[in-house]
Amino acid sequence: MTRNPSGFPTGLTAPSRRTVLRLGAGATAGLALGPLAGCAGPTGAPGPGTISLGLNRSLVSLDNKLNQFDAAVTVQRAVRQALTRIGRGLTTELVLADRFEMTEPTRWTVRLRDGVRYSDGTPVTVKDVATALKMYAGVNGSFLIGLFPELPTVEKVDERTFHLRTEHPVPILDQLMANILISPAAKNRPEELTGGVGSGPYVVTSANSGTGEYSLAVNPEYWGRRPAIEKVRVRFVPEESSRVVAVRSGELDVIDTITPDSAEQLRGLPGVRLERTSGTRVNQLFFNFRKPRGHPLADPRVREALSYAIDGEALVRDVLTGSAQQAEGVVPLALRGAVRTGSYVYDPGKARKKLAALGAGDLKVRIIWESGEFPADTSVMEAVLEMLRAVGVRASLQQFQPGGDILQWRQGRRGDWDVLGNGYSVPTGHASTSLQGMYGGTPEKEKTRDTYQGYVFPEIAARLADASAESDEKTRDKKLAAVQKAIWDTRPCLWAFIPNVVLARRTRVKDVRLLQVNSYDLAAVRLEG
Amino acid sequence: MIRYLLRRLGQSVLTVFLTLSTVFVLVRMAPGDPAAALAGPNPTSEDLARIREQFGLDESLLTQYWVFLRDLFTGDLGTSYSFHAPAFDVVLDRVPYTITLSAAAIALTALVAVPLGVWMARRADTKRELGANVLTIAGQSMPDFWIGVMLLTVFAVLVPVLPASGFTTWGGLVLPTVTVAVLQMALISRLVRREMVAALASPYITVARSRGVSERALTWRYALGNSAIPVLTALGTRFAAMLNGVVVVEVVFGWPGVGSLVVRALETRDYPLIQATVLVTAALAVLVQLLIDLAYPLLDPRVRLGKAA
Repeated sequence: MTRNPSGFPTGLTAPSRRTVLRLGAGATAGLALGPLAGCAGPTGAPGPGTISLGLNRSLVSLDNKLNQFDAAVTVQRAVRQALTRIGRGLTTELVLADRFEMTEPTRWTVRLRDGVRYSDGTPVTVKDVATALKMYAGVNGSFLIGLFPELPTVEKVDERTFHLRTEHPVPILDQLMANILISPAAKNRPEELTGGVGSGPYVVTSANSGTGEYSLAVNPEYWGRRPAIEKVRVRFVPEESSRVVAVRSGELDVIDTITPDSAEQLRGLPGVRLERTSGTRVNQLFFNFRKPRGHPLADPRVREALSYAIDGEALVRDVLTGSAQQAEGVVPLALRGAVRTGSYVYDPGKARKKLAALGAGDLKVRIIWESGEFPADTSVMEAVLEMLRAVGVRASLQQFQPGGDILQWRQGRRGDWDVLGNGYSVPTGHASTSLQGMYGGTPEKEKTRDTYQGYVFPEIAARLADASAESDEKTRDKKLAAVQKAIWDTRPCLWAFIPNVVLARRTRVKDVRLLQVNSYDLAAVRLEG
Repeated sequence: MIRYLLRRLGQSVLTVFLTLSTVFVLVRMAPGDPAAALAGPNPTSEDLARIREQFGLDESLLTQYWVFLRDLFTGDLGTSYSFHAPAFDVVLDRVPYTITLSAAAIALTALVAVPLGVWMARRADTKRELGANVLTIAGQSMPDFWIGVMLLTVFAVLVPVLPASGFTTWGGLVLPTVTVAVLQMALISRLVRREMVAALASPYITVARSRGVSERALTWRYALGNSAIPVLTALGTRFAAMLNGVVVVEVVFGWPGVGSLVVRALETRDYPLIQATVLVTAALAVLVQLLIDLAYPLLDPRVRLGKAA
């Protein structure tokens, strides 16, 4: 083939610059419009039979082996279910099981509900439960498994009945098992399941884990009462102000885990209602218990004296805008087994006097925390700084960005600190799990810095272990109450508060029964209008 | 031409590779531990050690880099720690949203800024230009998050005609596009004005005018044609920058693009996701630059690619 000077084969006309520019413009328009067609469907705003939920964190899957945060639980449990769940008053409610009872101290007898099946029509079996436990145990980094003192083994009795056997008594096994979601054994893996079927009232009709957007529809095979809402749209809206605007405009029907500031903005607005309940998370200004003997903060009297400097009422009223309560125990009182052990008293004169008497008049305190650890964290810390300064304590603040090195600091591997701003919650609804997690430190655990900020009181740890293994509920509660009082006397916190759980909904959304674990039963929710 | 193209492609590949390698080292030098971010609250040392081992984070930097290169050449960018899915796939889920927003913003910018710049140049240093000057300076001065919040307040809350967040309807594109485009329109229109003022004062315009060429042709064909290359370069550069994610706007509008993904990946120290994002966005950016370079001869016949001036 011969070529002309322009480089084009003879017989073909070289395109003019104008033609190429036109083609370029067309291609650019295609580039702009093509993805428009490809990346978003004609979903529109939620219709009469659809509820739209805005989550503050991305729901990367509908499994909870690795990712479980409050808002996710609501959606995960609409698709996958456990044998039990934590219900109103943090009591255990039966879901896939119709019997779950301790028949011996180390044996629980469980019976699967008659007729429970997955969305593909296959029945939920005992093997599925046994496999689920193995898969949760096999995944790296699951904090849920850390809540179990030991994992039970499954002993099949008949097609529906089985025993959960442990070596030592685990008296809250029914509550712990509320976190183990059951999937068909053949499809379960020791990893987060991104697909597959569940036994819940809804099935996934579309999912984009990259953007955190999911569409659910009623499960036609659901074994229980049919949900009132046909479709659910789940969206990930990370920025709280955007979620607030979206619920105000009616684009989202429900947003959860909202901060005091947002609750204030939404309060009294037409078309929007707030739901509140006391939470199960405790936010603490926790002392560093790795101080050497002789250090002022190693003395509980100094820790107590410092706590008199904190005006908790003012913090709750002015900084947290009434969206929290000062802690009156070492764990939230909402938890089963929690007791009132004391209260934080504001008396700066007493603080100054006691500190001077204890030779800690010129104390320096370094407070560290990770940004976003709790609502209004920076404002709380700045207020605390001023309160400490008012009694002569030279305090300083060090804030860490999320993803930074705070864990290493907490473990004392990066530097010294005195008070840590930290939140602690567990999804079991029982005080013993929180108490064990925070105050069950032993010298052995401390060797690897695996205690809670160095809190090691062997006697307390032993009493906690004893109480947590007590199978008689009354005796257990009595023992737990005594040990909580002993913990309070060690003065672990400069101050602590329990934030309320707050959710905002459009008024057309009814029967959102917000639970203290910051979740609700999606199948019970209705839409009006 | 082909030799030029191959050379530019080679340079582009090298640029992306060096960028990726630099990011690989830098994210590992930054404070933070992916294992801690992945493990959830209050992990034990044993948990952390297991996670580090699982993801090869306990290996030396050199070994990690070698494994990364080996996997890269097989097309494997690793599994995102936080999404538990191939990092490349997670990024590809987001890329269309970013391209859509960037393309819409740059199209709006070109549609408004070029005529505005021409209008200002034709009325340079007159009282009528003052208003446009004030507007463009204001556009440059206003932070995009503020513009975004104001637009949200007006068009999603006070007069709720447009969605507040996400991309669930076509209307969802309007507010983020306008927010991104305001600054770009201000910058590009001022650039067009500057180039056009210089072009309109050139001798060839005077000659053309003396030959009776109409003012419209003088402005749009002669002067704008000669100003096109710097304007196109600026538009292309801005577009390439947007492809790296317009983070603030994405956060304000809950736009599921690459920018918000990067923020999340950095917060969780999700190395594979950070690397996959950098790879994709850097590749897109150099591709856009290459296309712009290839477009120069079309705009100005005097430009010959691959030949010395």
